[in-house]
Amino acid sequence: MALYWKLIRASVAAQMEYKFSFLFSTLLMMVLQALDFLLIAAILLKFDTIKGWNLYEVGYLYAISMMVLSLYRTLCNEIHAFEKYTVQGEFDQLLTRPVSPLLNLFSRSLYLHQIGGFLQGIVVLAVSLWGLYGQGVSVAKALWFLPVSIVSGSLIVLALGLATATIAFWTVRIADFLPFTVYAPINASSYPMHIYPGWLKGLLFSVLPVAFIAYVPSLYLFDKGGAWWYLLLTPLVAAVALGLALAFWRFGIKRYHSTGN
Amino acid sequence: MIRAEGLTKYYRVTERKTGRFAALRTLLTAKSKLVTAVSDMNFEIPRGGFVGYIGPNGAGKSTTIKMLTGILHPDGGRVEVAGFSPQEQRKEVAQRMGVVFGQRTQLWWDLPCKDSFELLAAMYKVERREYDKAMSEYASLLDIGEFIDTPVRKLSLGQRMRADLVAALLHNPEILFLDEPTIGLDVVAKTRIRSFLKELNQAEEKTILLTTHDMDDIEQLCKQIIIINHGQKVYDGTLEELREQYPMPSLLDVEFHGFVNEAHLPEGAQYDPTYNRVKVLFDKVTTRPMPLIDRLGECAEVRDIQIQTPRIEEVIRQIYQEGHAAVKVKS
Repeated sequence: MALYWKLIRASVAAQMEYKFSFLFSTLLMMVLQALDFLLIAAILLKFDTIKGWNLYEVGYLYAISMMVLSLYRTLCNEIHAFEKYTVQGEFDQLLTRPVSPLLNLFSRSLYLHQIGGFLQGIVVLAVSLWGLYGQGVSVAKALWFLPVSIVSGSLIVLALGLATATIAFWTVRIADFLPFTVYAPINASSYPMHIYPGWLKGLLFSVLPVAFIAYVPSLYLFDKGGAWWYLLLTPLVAAVALGLALAFWRFGIKRYHSTGN
Repeated sequence: MIRAEGLTKYYRVTERKTGRFAALRTLLTAKSKLVTAVSDMNFEIPRGGFVGYIGPNGAGKSTTIKMLTGILHPDGGRVEVAGFSPQEQRKEVAQRMGVVFGQRTQLWWDLPCKDSFELLAAMYKVERREYDKAMSEYASLLDIGEFIDTPVRKLSLGQRMRADLVAALLHNPEILFLDEPTIGLDVVAKTRIRSFLKELNQAEEKTILLTTHDMDDIEQLCKQIIIINHGQKVYDGTLEELREQYPMPSLLDVEFHGFVNEAHLPEGAQYDPTYNRVKVLFDKVTTRPMPLIDRLGECAEVRDIQIQTPRIEEVIRQIYQEGHAAVKVKS
């Protein structure tokens, strides 16, 4: 753990070598994400509800998705951008260290540029919960469940990211996969699942289990027909998904082929 | 100290698609074939050995080193480094070996060297006292004091290589793997690194395995050389023994100005009247180059002199040409 902090401090120091670039790209990211949400808000304000879910309820889903994606990108950037290790053969070096390669990757992974999404998520979440409270919905449960939601949700995204990174051991590049395995599912999780066709819903509840990040618990939290034990599913699915992703990762390392000179 | 038994590695070469969704299409329509990178490789390196592992590009040098360092898993045979399997006991082996890949750095690109050293020391759990000792010793031998606070991206290739060597030695490893440590360096930098490696091997009894294309590296450093071609070992022994079997002549190429007294040319010289040049093959070990050059100077006015040192590829070609299919193995 002491080593982790030491390496994290080093990576922040390295990023701060380019202060202007850091501030500029963080700002740019926030503006882009704000535009994204304004678009949904505009649609919802016009149509009032999406299949029975109002602006604030969708806002809750959206905020959680945004926060977990941002946390994943901030804390696990090297997993997300793993292909640079396989393309340039830098993964070789991690394998010659007396520290597990995954731990080594995490300790280089802090990428503060992406923290903006988390801050915006907090704002959207606050507005949504406040709105729901105004409509007479009890938000106490949602607040109490929030930490579990954020942690489990981030782990589910991490599992998807790690499994995608593992594909790089065979294909070297993963940029083509990320839209299907990370971006699209996370995007999909910002809306209630019942708007999707059956096959897609099936995917989002199983192989790409993003339904459990915010949608499933919210069925209980906002009294939409869910039972109390729905809340347990979120951390449970997170643990299983991460376990499977780790097993896949370990399997992949043995198949790692490195690159020539 | 290092042992390979029947070491074998195949590569699956996949036809890569280009264009949109290239990686996805490559995965789905994998058309591939198996290529042997290293085949049934056996060798043993004793403690304190200094081995040159040589062969042409694509011969399987890097693949072997990657199996010895635990990066790749062999498809057949086994490896032992300091008594451990680099694949099964990665951490034990990692603590006992230092690795330098000449073409890429292990230092943090944007951080000063010093910070990289301290991070590595923490990673290898090097005690403060040990760290200070290693720093004072190696830092002075390689003279890295002048750039220790400079970010790695601003270092010259030679400086970076010196810093990389220090980084690989901080945890006092018993074994060093060096993949082309002198590649791209100028003569001064090469000499400095060579004398450092020699000192390391002699004074501290570190076992060193290096790959190189540079004959001077091999001549000045290696006690044992292993030559590999097409994934197979073609020679394992000392340089002297190799020389006895296969002469490795240097080529002296002299261009003259004006009339050349052909009768006075040294024995074995080939005169080319079209370009007014003379080529002489000579063995650096038995013939000193200066008297030879003086002799040629007596024949005519010399305009230009070039000396080409023998290339290892040339030696390998000879081994094949002379039909020595039987591999000479040092027991």
